[in-house]
Amino acid sequence: MEVYKHDKSREWFDRACKVIPSGVYGHLGPAEGNFIPVSKWPLLGDRAEGTYFWDVDGNRYIDYMCAYGPNVLGYNDPDVDAAAIAQAKIGNCVTSPSYKMVELAELMVDTVKSADWAFFAKNGNDVTTAAIMTARAHTHKKKIIFVNGFYHGVAPWTQKIDYPGVIPEDVSNNLYVDWNDIPALETLLAENEGEIAAFISTPYMHGNYLDNQLPAPGYWQKVRELCTKHGIVLIVDDVRTGFRLATEGSDAFYGFEADLICFCKAIANGWNVSCLCGKEFIKGAVSSLSYTGSYWMSAVPFAAGIANINKMRQLGLPAILKEKAVKLLDGLTKTATENGFRLLISGEPALFYLRIANDDSLFLHQEWIAECVQRGVFFAGHHNHFLNYAVSDEDISFTHEVADEAFKVVRKNHPELF
Amino acid sequence: MLDQKTLAYINMFAILGTLENLCELVPEAGPLLTNKKPIALAFDVKGGPSATITFENGKCRLEPGVQACNIKIPVGSCEKFNGVVDGTVTPLPVKGFRYIKFLTKDFDALTKLMEKYLRPSEEDLADLAFFERSTTLMLYVISVAIAQIGDYDEIGRFSADHVPDGDVCFSIKDGPAATIHCKNHILSTEKRRPQNPRAIMEFESIELARALFDGKVNALACIGNGSITMRGMINMIDNLNRILDRVALYLA
Repeated sequence: MEVYKHDKSREWFDRACKVIPSGVYGHLGPAEGNFIPVSKWPLLGDRAEGTYFWDVDGNRYIDYMCAYGPNVLGYNDPDVDAAAIAQAKIGNCVTSPSYKMVELAELMVDTVKSADWAFFAKNGNDVTTAAIMTARAHTHKKKIIFVNGFYHGVAPWTQKIDYPGVIPEDVSNNLYVDWNDIPALETLLAENEGEIAAFISTPYMHGNYLDNQLPAPGYWQKVRELCTKHGIVLIVDDVRTGFRLATEGSDAFYGFEADLICFCKAIANGWNVSCLCGKEFIKGAVSSLSYTGSYWMSAVPFAAGIANINKMRQLGLPAILKEKAVKLLDGLTKTATENGFRLLISGEPALFYLRIANDDSLFLHQEWIAECVQRGVFFAGHHNHFLNYAVSDEDISFTHEVADEAFKVVRKNHPELF
Repeated sequence: MLDQKTLAYINMFAILGTLENLCELVPEAGPLLTNKKPIALAFDVKGGPSATITFENGKCRLEPGVQACNIKIPVGSCEKFNGVVDGTVTPLPVKGFRYIKFLTKDFDALTKLMEKYLRPSEEDLADLAFFERSTTLMLYVISVAIAQIGDYDEIGRFSADHVPDGDVCFSIKDGPAATIHCKNHILSTEKRRPQNPRAIMEFESIELARALFDGKVNALACIGNGSITMRGMINMIDNLNRILDRVALYLA
């Protein structure tokens, strides 16, 4: 099997470092992206199509990160892109917002079970911030409960006291509770009675470096009950999971209703739009916010979002993604076992998290991931993955072949363990 | 904002504690230590750290707590102890007046030597041997300071609370290494390479380590170009790096 080289990636990265802080910053870069070792990973890309992307060296990858979520139907999906291009020809960022915004809002309300309205922005962080501001505007309270291991964006309120650029006052109203821990939540509520504006959480715990954890039976129903009892706004951050578990929203998937629910990544298959949906009772509060942006009402992503959501609904996409994921994961588990590895899979199948558990350090896992990447299967060593509709049975079979060879390479490199 | 108690722990265990390595690595320390009777000096800081520094057979050893000693120096507060270390407060022993000469001469000379290596001039750094010794000592100071900040500084505690149990190797390739050990979110440092680390952060050369310590290069860009390698439980390193960010604040 061909093992990729990344000479041009390196050249481009060196150029990038001269003019861009740390070359490629953020989650797509080598530091946050955990490119270990960096020499085995592509640093800059050239093009993408379907479930693949090609790096600047011309190497093709089956992409199981999907741009960290947005690619849900496949890169350059013809239906979504046709809608976007048609809209681009008649207007995008215009003084008078396009009626496409209304159409997309109607579609969101029709699609998302707990939604009575839709408010659009650009990134997930925009709408999680809108949700927090809305909760505070509605309750006139200041404290927010987070679940340990959370990620809700990059605004100072979403960060932690020890992060660069964050001051204690940014996070002084943040309270923390462990996932699935109802007694701890009840204690926190009692200790802060009358002061809490919102409880914010992802539908399940998909934090990095950790086996992902699903909600315990009755967990969400109890959270819902407590939030209602204490007058706390229940915010679901469905930015990562939205549309992959259920087109109706992940709160519906787990059998409860959020007061506010945040979407972004999979709304428009890579065209940039995010959306906060909510219940009627809190519509006035979100209306009262002084909160807007130059590109938030651009029509092209709205047109793309309409085409994308309609297609996801027509396909019944979540069930298809689950079926593909189960096929992929069953094969990976089998291959791992045959090679003497204990591969743990956690989280929901369409957003699977992988971890080799033969050691307690992730060393073997990171080696295996890098060997897969170097052979054209783009996995991540630290983060949940994302499946898209374009991945085929052939792609899944090829993934199993790559995984098998990668396991054999790691095994060979560690005679002391096998 | 600097916390005086945390700074006192850094001064005791990271700065004075590195006398152990200074005596081992730096030839100029030899004449100050050889052919001398063993002597032990204890600092006891009210509301802060205490430790005993023993000089014996040309070597130095720092142990936590007040042990059997020839000279005992109680210090009324962390602020005063920090003043002792930065030379603005004169220490007054309650025991061991006859050893005062050691304190004012040999110990003072050693701490001045330490300062020369930890706050080096460009001229001194031009000498390769000095450069290597100075950078090695810096690595030890920083590694020990990480544990003190993780254990005592309010924001450092928050970071340490997110570090899982285990050993992190903090090293220079083909050079010195330190182990940051975490157990129940309490950090400690050993100035040796760990046997079974759960995470490794390694600098590709001593020159790179120096440049990083001096703030002359960007660590994230170095990860991108491969001159810093990280592997294993990156969340351990990630949280230690947040503490490392505060080390510069305390050692400035």
